[in-house]
Amino acid sequence: MTHGFAVDRAFATVAFKRRLAYKTQWVLGLVLGGGAMLVSMALWHDLLADGALSGYDWSAMRAYIIIGFVTATVVFGAADWQIADRILDGHIAIDLTKPVDFQRARAAEYVGSMISTVPTVIVGVTGAWLLFDPPGPATATAGALTAVSFALVFPLAFGITYLTVLVCFWTKRYLGIMWLREALLGFLSGMMIPLAFMPSWLQAIAWASPFPHFTATPAAIYLGHVDTAGALGLLAAEAAWAVGLWFGARLVFRHAVKKVTVHGG
Amino acid sequence: MPILEARSLSKTFRRPDKASGFKGAVKHLAQRKYKNYTAVDGIDLSIEAGESVAYVGPNGAGKSTTVKLLTGILKPSEGTVRVMGRDPHVERIANAHDIGVLFGQRTQLWWDLPVEESLKLLKHMYGVSDADYKRRLAMFDDLLDLGEFMPALARTLSLGQRMRADLACALIHDPKMVYLDEPTIGLDISVKDRLRAFLRELVDNGTTLLLTSHDLADIEEVCERIVVIDKGTIAYDGPITQLKAHYITTKAVNLYLEGPADVPALAEKFPDYAWAAGEAPSEVTVTYETSRFSTAGVLGSLTAQLAPRDLSLSEPSIEDVIRRLYAGELTK
Repeated sequence: MTHGFAVDRAFATVAFKRRLAYKTQWVLGLVLGGGAMLVSMALWHDLLADGALSGYDWSAMRAYIIIGFVTATVVFGAADWQIADRILDGHIAIDLTKPVDFQRARAAEYVGSMISTVPTVIVGVTGAWLLFDPPGPATATAGALTAVSFALVFPLAFGITYLTVLVCFWTKRYLGIMWLREALLGFLSGMMIPLAFMPSWLQAIAWASPFPHFTATPAAIYLGHVDTAGALGLLAAEAAWAVGLWFGARLVFRHAVKKVTVHGG
Repeated sequence: MPILEARSLSKTFRRPDKASGFKGAVKHLAQRKYKNYTAVDGIDLSIEAGESVAYVGPNGAGKSTTVKLLTGILKPSEGTVRVMGRDPHVERIANAHDIGVLFGQRTQLWWDLPVEESLKLLKHMYGVSDADYKRRLAMFDDLLDLGEFMPALARTLSLGQRMRADLACALIHDPKMVYLDEPTIGLDISVKDRLRAFLRELVDNGTTLLLTSHDLADIEEVCERIVVIDKGTIAYDGPITQLKAHYITTKAVNLYLEGPADVPALAEKFPDYAWAAGEAPSEVTVTYETSRFSTAGVLGSLTAQLAPRDLSLSEPSIEDVIRRLYAGELTK
């Protein structure tokens, strides 16, 4: 087990270093992510100038936007293309000759690449806090449970990303799948617009998917829109999705690996 | 018990059957058709521990597909593979611990990191102890001059350096069974020589080796046994010396005469030999069957009667034999 964790740490470290190897990309991520947050702030400031909408006033929305920035930075900054490329260009042949679980190795790499976004998150959140002075968590318990929800975003994001990347075994292309996933993620997670602004039937669809746990769940807990029992229920659902996606991905991979067709040397 | 055993091993791929041009693309979109393509067709292969086996064949013969089946990357369509008693596809991780694989056309280095980082990651993957890791790195440095580019980013390496680093990656855990798929592709002569010497040493130390290569010098210098595959089936399997003894039945003497060579007159004078004009007017090649004539006897009679200015002796290379095997001129 210790050896297993040492291997995970080694994969995560390598992925982290690979991300740091491209400093311009890192800086651009910070500028673009921060820029998007500023645009959101300006937009919602105007929209909520006359008072609360769908239960969100300007104070709550400031915290909501910052939470959305955190999860979007972590999720969209991870190295999904690196996994997809390994499948598409046949590098998976090399991976399959190594004595490691393919999914676990990719998960460790994914976490490593996600961790590389933490400095962006720290810079972005600190800047936003100084500029917009958002409210703190509704209670100390809510703050702690929000942190748990953020932590669960890592396995959840990997599960969704990895499953969509595995589709490449059948489609032989990744771009369209990535667009679809990111559109669903951006919309149904509440990153773009809080789910409360959507019609009830669309909210029902969203909550039947894992996507709201990326933004709507941590935001609802942080802002006190749910009590402690409700927060624990949301966290249980978030964890269940993470576990379900992990084992679902295992089943898909077992089938997908039979489709490996690496021609030529 | 063999270290590797494959029985009736086959792999069939499904390929799109698409006509060319815009019409073909639209038609394929509406009505998809596929064709089955058999890359490996009922191969039987058995390798004993410590053997060094060359696995050769023309492009598209099924060499790389076989290697991928034997290493567990691909699932066989039919047949069985056992490597050290395991099914390499089903027990992939356990099998991977004991094998080393190099695909000459694909690097296992992390492209944007120093070579050292890739090797450290592999050390963790295989659970190599610090002492063994240091010892093996020192050996690679000694034999492959690895140290000079250990801190370099993989993407900045020359092809020769990349191949040497990849070889170290494949062997860092001292595997019992090593598969090398085109390890000298694109390398210059000096790097090839060093790699071959390294592989020879590996084999001498008891590692089992399966080597695919288009470079027949790799094969002659490193391997004792050769398996020739063509169109997915084995065309020859046996010792290289036996292949040569069985198929190389002639030798040739190149004669450099004082004046122009009259080939028809020489053929009439020495009807037991085959005569052919050489590149220069005074050069002529005499081919004789080794089962009928001794080299000493042939040389004695030719030098006595023709008094050549110079001569050289040659025999068909393994390359000629394999070329003829591919062409179907020779049988198993």
